[in-house]
Amino acid sequence: MSSREKILAAVTANQPAEVPLPTVPFFEGDASVEKFTALVQAIGGRVVEVAALAHLEEVVRQLFPADYRMASPLLSSTNVSVDAQTPLAVLADVELAVLQGEFGVAENGAIWLPEENMLHRALPMITQHLALVLSQQQLVATMHQAYARLATVGGYGTFLAGPSKTADIEQSLVIGAHGARSLTVLLVP
Amino acid sequence: MSHSERSDIFLLDAERTTWHDETLWFVREKRDKAVYATPEFQKLRQLASDIKDHTLSRLDFYLQQFEENARRNGVHVHWAADATEHNAIVLGLLRQHGATRVVKSKSMLTEECHLNPHLLANGIEVIDTDLGERIIQLREEAPSHVVLPAIHLKKEDVGDTFHKYLGTEKGNNDPQQLTETARQHLREKFLAGQVAISGVNFAVAETGTVVVCTNEGNADLGVNLAQVHIACMGMEKLIPRLSDLSVFTRILTRSATGQPITTYTSHFTRPAEGKELHIVIVDNGRTQQLGRPDFRASLKCIRCGACMNTCPVYRRSGGHSYDFTIPGPIGAILSPNIDMRKHASLPFASTLCGSCTDVCPVKIDIHTQLYKWRQVLGEAGKLPASKKWSMRLLSRVLAKPGMYSAGGKVARQALRLLPHGLTHGQGYNPWAIARELPEPPQQSFREWYAQQPQNDKA
Repeated sequence: MSSREKILAAVTANQPAEVPLPTVPFFEGDASVEKFTALVQAIGGRVVEVAALAHLEEVVRQLFPADYRMASPLLSSTNVSVDAQTPLAVLADVELAVLQGEFGVAENGAIWLPEENMLHRALPMITQHLALVLSQQQLVATMHQAYARLATVGGYGTFLAGPSKTADIEQSLVIGAHGARSLTVLLVP
Repeated sequence: MSHSERSDIFLLDAERTTWHDETLWFVREKRDKAVYATPEFQKLRQLASDIKDHTLSRLDFYLQQFEENARRNGVHVHWAADATEHNAIVLGLLRQHGATRVVKSKSMLTEECHLNPHLLANGIEVIDTDLGERIIQLREEAPSHVVLPAIHLKKEDVGDTFHKYLGTEKGNNDPQQLTETARQHLREKFLAGQVAISGVNFAVAETGTVVVCTNEGNADLGVNLAQVHIACMGMEKLIPRLSDLSVFTRILTRSATGQPITTYTSHFTRPAEGKELHIVIVDNGRTQQLGRPDFRASLKCIRCGACMNTCPVYRRSGGHSYDFTIPGPIGAILSPNIDMRKHASLPFASTLCGSCTDVCPVKIDIHTQLYKWRQVLGEAGKLPASKKWSMRLLSRVLAKPGMYSAGGKVARQALRLLPHGLTHGQGYNPWAIARELPEPPQQSFREWYAQQPQNDKA
């Protein structure tokens, strides 16, 4: 008998009598821009309101040094082109990635980022700085509404909440562990 | 060595013990703030508990459903009955890909299986990439906490470690600079990693997805740069539906560190084009625990560490005093299932105050199970002789009121008359090592009660 069969047989023999699976209610909450902004700031990110999508390029140029090696499917001024086949050496030198976030969660500041929006699966983490473009219309209150919006999580996707951080040395919070050193949310109408 | 003997080692440094105690209590307070700010938190706990109870009651179904969906997604699923088989599967995959360099993100399961020593012995370079895990890996220590693996260390210790292994300046103990050094050092490792191993926080049966939660981004970085991703999971990580994640992502970090969510909550369903994703499902004693009605609820654990942060014993004895992969109250109810003799002292490393049960986000009755393990250990003859005989003597005395009252009378006199060195002798009264016995009263309550006028007694 293989380990698979052995394990499954032992589980069947040892599991208790079936108890029901509960229905999870949709706990509602505050889905306002104010709440979302406060949460993003609390977890170490910053929120910049962009008056119109047309100003995106200009705002990015104001927020980040012009000579940054930047990858983005959203801007014409990118100087690094990234796709799923991009060599690691090129990825490792990216200083800024500007990507489209699908929707934000007000209760925790997380933004859903599916693989399709990443250019390369490693880009959101390997870039030194990350900016996510997010529509103000695309905010939900809690994780219940968030998962309800996801018919599928695709091949890979992440709820990304703030910059990479650690507190592993004496519980001192340090921003910029292995992933992006900063997270900027570019909030468009 | 028993838990209390190992605690003595930790307690030698009183200043550090106090720091450890206060730091973990601070984490507990952060948890409270996050919990109180979530009005439906108690409902979420109940839901999480019910979802896990249900999953365990149909685990055979969900395991197969998960496997089928994962396979359909192009994922390779492996089954390991024990740690040895788990390690053999992982090594086999590495050999198959000719890999010698592995980056690993946090996984208590691989700690439990002692994967690292096995890989190292077989010529594989395995680098732990979580900062806390990397620190203790360089020091060749075990994690002392499930979420904060290096919480037993001070920044001076980390500074010394990095000076020795990563060439930082001696005396540089700045967390910011030390973290930056680790970032640079580990970037090289990430880029060179051929295979990435991760743990699993949740496995979704209906989609075949594994979810990995980190703050540092080390799991995503390692996995997305390497050619092969091996995700190792205990079989109890399953949940039925994608929407169940809404409950667990809301309670996990609030309970663990007081954060609203981890920085990265990543869902791995299909490997990237041209790459491989392997999932190893591990039993290693879990089916046995599932068959113990009093203790199966321990399998609901989501490894948040809240029970450790709140435990008055853990905070003052340190994670290493448990000498088990999972320390603290939850470790004390998981460990006897693995090796009753070796871990016999752990269910006694508790005051049974119940604080662990109060904070547990999946409502495991931890302190009840600690009490029940004590009964099991007693019946199995696994109690230390001192405890066994003193308990036996005490139960004799308590069963005979005459003997009890006579004993009390003798004790009150003896405490008054005997020299302090004798009543507080460290050799036979460990209670008095750091405490003074109270002044003995003139009479017992029963004696006083007998003297009261009859009318007052009604």
